Amino acid sequence: MPRSSWTQRLEPYLMLAPAGVWLFLLLILPTLMIFQISLVPDIKPGDLVNPSSLGNYLEIFDPIVLWIVARSIGLSIATTVLCLLLGFPVAYWIALLAPRRWQNLLLLAFVLPLWTSSLLRSYAWISILRPTGVLNTILSFLHLPTLDLMNQLPAVLIGMTYSLLPYMVLILYASLEKLDRRLLEAAADLGAKPLEAFLQVTVPQVLPGIAAGVLLVFINAIGDFVNPELLGGPSSMTAARLVYSKFLGASPDWGMGSALSALLIMFVTLSIVLLLKYGDKNARTL
Amino acid sequence: MDSQQFGSTDKGLPPGLTRRSRRRFLQQAGQVALGLGLTQGLSSCGWRLGNVRSGPVKASSDELFLYTWAQYVDDDLLRDFQAKSGLKTIRELFDSNEKMIAALQAGKGDSFSLLYPSEYFIPKLVKAKLLAELDHDRINGLNNLMPQFRRSIADADNHYGIPFAWGTTGLIYNQEKVSDEIQDWDYLWKNKEKLLRKMSLLDDYREVIGFCLKTLGYSINETQPDRIKEAYEKLSRLKPFISSFTTDGWRTKLAAGDLWIAMAYSSDAIGLLKENPKLRYIIPKPGGTRWSDWMVIPKSAPNPNAAYAWMNYLLNPEVAANVSQRLAVTTPNAAAIPLLPSELQTNAVSYPPPDIMARCESMTALTPEAEKLYAKYWTQLTS
Amino acid sequence: MPPTSPKLPKLQISWQAWFTGLMFSFMYLPILVLAFYSVNESAVSAQWTGFSLKWYARFFHDGRIQQALLDSLKVALGSVSIAAVFGTLMAVGLSRYRFLGRDLYQNAVYLPLIIPDISIAVATLVFLAAISMPLSMGTIVASHVVFCLSYVSLAVSTRINSLDRHLEEAAQDLGATPFQSFRLVLLPQLFPAIVSGCLLAFVCSMDDFLIASFTAGGGINTLPMEIYSRIRTNLTPDLNALSVLLILASAFAVLLAEFIRYRSEQKRAI
Repeated sequence: MPRSSWTQRLEPYLMLAPAGVWLFLLLILPTLMIFQISLVPDIKPGDLVNPSSLGNYLEIFDPIVLWIVARSIGLSIATTVLCLLLGFPVAYWIALLAPRRWQNLLLLAFVLPLWTSSLLRSYAWISILRPTGVLNTILSFLHLPTLDLMNQLPAVLIGMTYSLLPYMVLILYASLEKLDRRLLEAAADLGAKPLEAFLQVTVPQVLPGIAAGVLLVFINAIGDFVNPELLGGPSSMTAARLVYSKFLGASPDWGMGSALSALLIMFVTLSIVLLLKYGDKNARTL
Repeated sequence: MDSQQFGSTDKGLPPGLTRRSRRRFLQQAGQVALGLGLTQGLSSCGWRLGNVRSGPVKASSDELFLYTWAQYVDDDLLRDFQAKSGLKTIRELFDSNEKMIAALQAGKGDSFSLLYPSEYFIPKLVKAKLLAELDHDRINGLNNLMPQFRRSIADADNHYGIPFAWGTTGLIYNQEKVSDEIQDWDYLWKNKEKLLRKMSLLDDYREVIGFCLKTLGYSINETQPDRIKEAYEKLSRLKPFISSFTTDGWRTKLAAGDLWIAMAYSSDAIGLLKENPKLRYIIPKPGGTRWSDWMVIPKSAPNPNAAYAWMNYLLNPEVAANVSQRLAVTTPNAAAIPLLPSELQTNAVSYPPPDIMARCESMTALTPEAEKLYAKYWTQLTS
Repeated sequence: MPPTSPKLPKLQISWQAWFTGLMFSFMYLPILVLAFYSVNESAVSAQWTGFSLKWYARFFHDGRIQQALLDSLKVALGSVSIAAVFGTLMAVGLSRYRFLGRDLYQNAVYLPLIIPDISIAVATLVFLAAISMPLSMGTIVASHVVFCLSYVSLAVSTRINSLDRHLEEAAQDLGATPFQSFRLVLLPQLFPAIVSGCLLAFVCSMDDFLIASFTAGGGINTLPMEIYSRIRTNLTPDLNALSVLLILASAFAVLLAEFIRYRSEQKRAI
């Protein structure tokens, strides 16, 4: 069949160029620009971008900003640990213990709340956690002491864990589902106690899945804006919130905001690279 | 990893295509990069961070975009204005002057035909060359305004703006929860343990640092660095006991009992006091701020005609009286006051007695250095 | 836990089942709370004050929130349809051709899912400032296409990898042009993946607050921007009714996507 050679030659471009150009223009190039702007101190709209100093990065080493960054990392670690502790038994039960034909449905049901608006989920947590909210109404009905969590880090932690738990369960499930059950049976036959078998047989097999889940939750936690913003109080500034306020807040400083944003990108990329290097190839399924 | 799969793909194509496409792809990518000045930028010849602008709103002349505070516009007002002028109004909300100008500079500016900055903020907008001068020939009823709003320091002769509302800043509290008669701002510091996370302050650094300066016996427009620092240090002692810094979010929380005491603008307080007799609004000693919010037309306004129509509509004494009553704002329109119900005319929150007004101070624009200092301490307070 | 369980494994089962049940209630608690408030007479009280549909009535008379919903739908539909075409082409192209920088290209597709939203939002704003592009609804769509591309192309790529390439080759051997074979052979097989990728992208676009608020021109308000501003200004009760309706809509979308995926898997199994 005769095919004109120029259409043939054009075909790869027609397929790859639109998306490629789009990604380049609206993702790669802007990210490079952020890195450049972060090197211009005190930049204002209309200024020439002439990367000249590390001043904006030095501002990050102000103790206050460092403290904010440390808080972000701490919150993300706490969220990740909580998600792992809460998510593992759930994924384990759905993947290994629940009736087989219900597994898919159970998993779907568990992650369904993920598909509701993240702002509205935080809003729901405000209704629950505020001093006269649902939680305290129930507690006082049961004659238990009430809890004061709203506008503080615990509320932020609850909101973030709630938002990210489904991700953790999804990834752990994918990993646990592939578990070789015969190994478990063999361990039991050889007289291993359940805990022993769990630690020495199950955990090593799902370690790549755990690593992938931890990474996914961690990078999402570090970039979370909505939960700290809506559930936090006067002492729950995080890096993502600070970047936002450096652009749309009361004292804008695009240069410093860009520097912080560049650091966020580098930090996240570094975590991924480390995982790919030292973790299992399974993480690629991310 | 998928080489086999792709090997089979190559079979269907004339040899050499992939290599050629590779080169072409690179060339193309290079051209795009060049065209965008990326390479220039990377070799630090520099590109310019342009002004972000907002796209021209549909060129229709029967639409008016407002940028205003949450409380100043409601659906009834928009409907009534549309019925009278035929103009459809769309509103966007902000909750502090600083955030408004940040949003304008981040590209939201060009669609708005009318902004509602505070009086002290007008000079800053003028300096940023954002405002258009008003054409007084197109405005009816300027003389209805109270005299102090005709010769404001920030905008003498209403060169750039027309006041819409004014009021004071004070404390609103729930008398059921806070039984003491609050007299002064220092009450917050003295009872901070009892009020742990039951109090909120405004999300506005001029107001918050300003009232704290006042408690120290300084002016709310203080520019001396050591005094500003003193106020910051005093505030940072209160901060761990505060629920949040919020301009609008305290209202329902106060009604629900989540908050007992909130720093508030009088205009927000009036409406709540009507609904809830347990609440009380005071201007604590040694005094608060006296503020006013104005309507101005940005230079880039897509529809200044509509903006003038809106100003004239609100300058009408009857409309002003209606708005003042329904939205619970205090009007600067002297001609509107006689049209108000008498209990509103004598309302001490809307129109405080002269001895209390004497305690209040008007905000003025700060020097850029002082402003930076305020902003710096504010970042520290809110993080 | 019954202390007299005969065997250890049984005990384990009940422990994990209980815990999973607890976690399920954790996941659904906020949604139940929203549903509870949406039909509760009082907006502020945490106690039941009587059944009422007035918040739903108010929601349906709230022109502002409907306008925001409309804006969001426009943005999501616009960006998803662009991403559906370009993303599918990209995934197919990536599977067909090898070229220098292919790995780089492929990795760039993952970037929008890895880089925090706030960084993407800020970078896009800076880029738009640099080229002095006025902000509008178009700029939101353009920036949403970026992450929509990722979802679509990842879904399609996964599907392509599990496909039989020989079918397409056979079609070409039988005289179909590459375009014909693409349209008649490949596309129908990719269709379920495209749909589920699009649904995912659609939900994410409808949910995006940060990128939209940085790239929206004045006067344009997407639903998340409107919700955010309402939560910040006042805890307005209309939001409860809105949440319940949105949750139902997204649950429907997700189940639909799952159903399409299930059907296509069944078809393949036959």
